[in-house]
Amino acid sequence: MRRTFLLALAAGLLIAGLAGAAPKPLTWALSGNPDSLDPQKTAGTLTFQTVRSLYDTLVEPDAKGQIVGALAERWQTSADNLTWTFTLRKGVKFHNGDALTSADVRASFERIKNKEFASPKASEYAAITSIETPDPSTVVFKLAKPFSPLLAALASGWGAILPKSLIDSGHDFSSKPVGTGPFVFKEWVRDNRIVLAKNPDYWLKGLPKFDSLIFQIIPERAVQVQGLIAGQIDGSDIIDQEDVPMLEASGKVNIDRPLTAQIFVLAMNCSKPPLNDLRVRQAVNHAIDKQAVLDVAYGGGKPVGTFMNYGNAYYRDFTSLYPYDPAKARSLLAQAGVGKDTVLEMVLPANYPPHVKAGEMYQEMLSKVGLNVQIKLVDWPTWLKDVYTAAKYDFTAIAHTGKLDPDGTLSGYGTEKRYVRWINATAADYIAKGAGAVGEENRKKLYDQAMMIMAREVPFVFTGTSYRRVVTNKRVKGFRMDPILDTYDFRHTELQ
Amino acid sequence: MIRRPAARRLYYAALLFLAILGAAAIAAPLVAPYSPTEQHLDRRLAPPSRTHLLGTDNLGRDLLSRTIYGSRSALLVGIVSVAISALLGSLVGLVAALSSPSLDNLLMLVMDSLLSFPTVLLAITVVSFLGYGLVQVMIAVGVIYAPTFARLVRAETLALKNEGYVEASQALGTPQVLVVFRHILPNLLGKVVVQCSITFALTVVIEASLSYLGLGAQPPTPSWGLMLKDARDYLVQAPWMALYPGLALAFTVLCFNILGDSLSERLNPKL
Repeated sequence: MRRTFLLALAAGLLIAGLAGAAPKPLTWALSGNPDSLDPQKTAGTLTFQTVRSLYDTLVEPDAKGQIVGALAERWQTSADNLTWTFTLRKGVKFHNGDALTSADVRASFERIKNKEFASPKASEYAAITSIETPDPSTVVFKLAKPFSPLLAALASGWGAILPKSLIDSGHDFSSKPVGTGPFVFKEWVRDNRIVLAKNPDYWLKGLPKFDSLIFQIIPERAVQVQGLIAGQIDGSDIIDQEDVPMLEASGKVNIDRPLTAQIFVLAMNCSKPPLNDLRVRQAVNHAIDKQAVLDVAYGGGKPVGTFMNYGNAYYRDFTSLYPYDPAKARSLLAQAGVGKDTVLEMVLPANYPPHVKAGEMYQEMLSKVGLNVQIKLVDWPTWLKDVYTAAKYDFTAIAHTGKLDPDGTLSGYGTEKRYVRWINATAADYIAKGAGAVGEENRKKLYDQAMMIMAREVPFVFTGTSYRRVVTNKRVKGFRMDPILDTYDFRHTELQ
Repeated sequence: MIRRPAARRLYYAALLFLAILGAAAIAAPLVAPYSPTEQHLDRRLAPPSRTHLLGTDNLGRDLLSRTIYGSRSALLVGIVSVAISALLGSLVGLVAALSSPSLDNLLMLVMDSLLSFPTVLLAITVVSFLGYGLVQVMIAVGVIYAPTFARLVRAETLALKNEGYVEASQALGTPQVLVVFRHILPNLLGKVVVQCSITFALTVVIEASLSYLGLGAQPPTPSWGLMLKDARDYLVQAPWMALYPGLALAFTVLCFNILGDSLSERLNPKL
């Protein structure tokens, strides 16, 4: 009996030893289940974080946010900016063995533009009137009018190139993605993990540098922290300031703190009294200690003062317009005649704890200057429907994700299309002209004007841009997170 | 009468705890050292100390004050929803027992189908339909526990109906309503009171569960469930955030259960 036990133990140790010899896969914590793995059929960040390793785009943002070639080696635009010609890289293969040609590019964009397909991102390609493929390595986009934001749309996750043969055969890309990316899809166990393996034929020679990548789905932040400390997971990007001392004490991880490209705001419904009164919105802005909200609820950051993320090439500093000044807030509210009897509703998305925490801080700060604000928690679909679409709210705390092009951030503001229902024809006009203008200097002049009007008229409290904490095990080197798209780039990552 | 002294001591301890809890809930503004919603941003996640006896939470709010005010949400939901379920359930049970067999079957079918749903699931459904908030929770919980009362009252009434003194009273021509008030209700009271105490414990748990899920008390209203929800992310860094509301919840439920057991021994002459 005893001998059998010892034998079994020895065998177990041997197996453990053999398993230890094989390289351990890189395990990354993903904070939720992606709704789909089809990059053209969703707007969910979790999807793009996953499929970044499975697909490539014609162009892509580099570490500084500049757009450089990827599947397209080079591109040029005609003098009238109505014809964009892309030359494809040679020798690129899809995971199913197909060689990449211009026909695949055309099929991909026709798929996303197809009305019946109903992609949430279709409108970003609306400027394209036709796609021509004069030879297998050349794609020509024809535009109805000059539209500078198109380049950013081509560089975003939803600009992924899919193989034409599988598009034609009606392949289910949502659960079995096939692209040209650095990793090949292996399996997706819903609510558990997504497993990818190295693509040996990747067009960047010698990359990626490790064999197996696992996205482990762990919704609880506290569990992710414990996983990092135990060495069960190699990285996470949703770590809080409060977790840092514990992680540092473990001595097992590196902690990086880059700025995100997000804009955290307290949005106000400008179509409803009393927030349709500029003085009330100004009072709200003076009442909020933006740095305190950033530090406590969002883990630190930079206040912005207008509707553009800190660090963006188009950002301009307007933070001095409405400093934290509760006394001034009270006198503005007195002028506007708003007192305790006016009950305002703050609708918060219950599934985002940082926004709920920020909302509780906003409410407390507003109550100190005499505004009566009631908090109402709603689930995410209700928030999208009632707040973002129907504008049935007074206040809401939310973050706007980074965009590669300023038009992505600003388009629609100044009109009734956006959920703050802030109407300003002058600002809307500058924003519309900015999309058609060519060249950063020309566009900057127009967007400067629009951002200045927004900074003065404050449809939001522009709380700021936050830091994020990317924590990786010390064996992981060269991980990169795209600062604007929030996606993970494992191509240059090494395991030691 | 409870004969075992240990059980009697438990009963008095439970009564004492609930009396203190009730007094704290009523006198919360006098007892609590701070406002339950005031944020001390410079003292976030502070461990228990002399300034904050139970420590502070992630927004620097005093946990002792929040725990005291939290008893208000718990007891309020308990009282109102138990009242709703006791009244509604007893009414349905009485009508079912004293009416025609077809109406009896129909009413009990409705009650039984309500009972067949898992409680929390049913509560979530009702609250999703009515909207989030404490008032909605009270209504939801009140309706959910009504069937328990209905079955109890129906069964007791059916038994009482055949008692000699009830039949005698009916034979003398006393109107049905008077029979119910004079003979049936007084005899039901003991059982219903015991059921109230047990249901109270269940409603406190349901209120906490729904608030924990974000469907009950809305922030910054202090509620034990909501405090536990806030504490979830800080279990390692600030365990006191979860400990005290958790203890308050556990003791309250335990005391109501002890009370229910003791009452059933006291009020049930057959034991």
